[in-house]
Amino acid sequence: MTDFQWPWEYTFPPFFTLQPHEETRQQQLNVWSELFLKYLKHLNKFTVNINEGSFPLYYNESLNRRLSPSMILQILQKLQSTGHAQPLDKKRQEWQVYWHTLEEYGNMIYDWIQETGQTGSVCTLYEIANGESTEDKEFHGIDENVLVNVLRLLEDKGRCELIEMDGSYGVKFF
Amino acid sequence: MRRRVGIGAIQQQQIAAEKLKDKGTDLQESQLEQMTKQMEVFREKLEEFSISHKQDIKKNAQFRKQFQEMCAAIGVDPLASGKGFWSVLGMGDFYYELGVQVVEVCLASNHKTGGLMELNELRRRLIAARGQSAVHQEITNEDILMATKKLSIFGNGFVVHKLGKGKYIVQSIPGELSMEETTILTLASDTEQGCVTHNMLMEQLGWPDYRARQSLDKVIGEGLCWIDEQDTEPSYWFPSLFPGRTTQLSA
Repeated sequence: MTDFQWPWEYTFPPFFTLQPHEETRQQQLNVWSELFLKYLKHLNKFTVNINEGSFPLYYNESLNRRLSPSMILQILQKLQSTGHAQPLDKKRQEWQVYWHTLEEYGNMIYDWIQETGQTGSVCTLYEIANGESTEDKEFHGIDENVLVNVLRLLEDKGRCELIEMDGSYGVKFF
Repeated sequence: MRRRVGIGAIQQQQIAAEKLKDKGTDLQESQLEQMTKQMEVFREKLEEFSISHKQDIKKNAQFRKQFQEMCAAIGVDPLASGKGFWSVLGMGDFYYELGVQVVEVCLASNHKTGGLMELNELRRRLIAARGQSAVHQEITNEDILMATKKLSIFGNGFVVHKLGKGKYIVQSIPGELSMEETTILTLASDTEQGCVTHNMLMEQLGWPDYRARQSLDKVIGEGLCWIDEQDTEPSYWFPSLFPGRTTQLSA
């Protein structure tokens, strides 16, 4: 894996302090949100915990600057507002974060199913997320928990049905 | 025999003075005539020159610089009017065009720089914006300064601030920078990272506590700088002066 290219802001010490000036703060949160998505995509990581103190995304060691949990929460809430994150527990400590919104993932997967003529057949979640035939797809490597959420959304639209088999899921597309 | 003072001598003196005066007027007239002729020749030569060197004006930064110095020495502003004597050179057009580009570049990055841009960065961005043929369009900091100064006629939306030691910063948001703010900027531009602290203002500028606090609150309030609260004392950072920002730009 290639090294992640941090933006210049990551080396700018005040970037880690929430800015009091309204416009500056909005700008700051925008850059952070983008950085969160890019970095997590780079690691192919779909869950974060607010209290993971030494996670490089929150903590620039060479600069000795870190994001406070409350600031991380603000960034995640911003991501939630655009459909790129959602909390996993009531205390909002554990979060699911995704590069594409669930809706976007849903469309991609459904398009792929139609392209490959798999409507009407059953496939496993593993096939979708890690199968050889999806290697060049954006949703390849998707977290299974996120994938279940995506499929639930498709299910609501009547495009598939989730089937539970021996504790794992299968899915049938229409 | 002693000559006596007589009326004849006085008359003679008067005649001599008049003759001298006439001669003087003659000389003045012929000088004026000559000057006018010289000016005409100069103008003709200048026109000839501009026709054969028009491309140089656009392309050669050294040439423009020397031309500007010459104009400054004789007290002429070649950009004062598009129709005047100097317009034959096309000097104005070059700077008007550059001025428009300066506005474009500054406005495009206002949201990132807070409306302040260091002159060198402005130059890099301008060169990038002017496209691939940049080799032919070498522009110097002097050119940009010249063009930017002309923008001040649009009010206080565009102002160039001198920060000492040949450093300039171009402000592209409306509003005056107060003396305090300019001083803080100057101090910040002398630091490696482009930041100041409350103590620095007190120690290096001899400002009393409340004055330092008030001016820092003001630069924060106007969105010109960012605050870092994770050091021994809060520090105030100007993104426009932060070196890390531009090293990545050029990379």
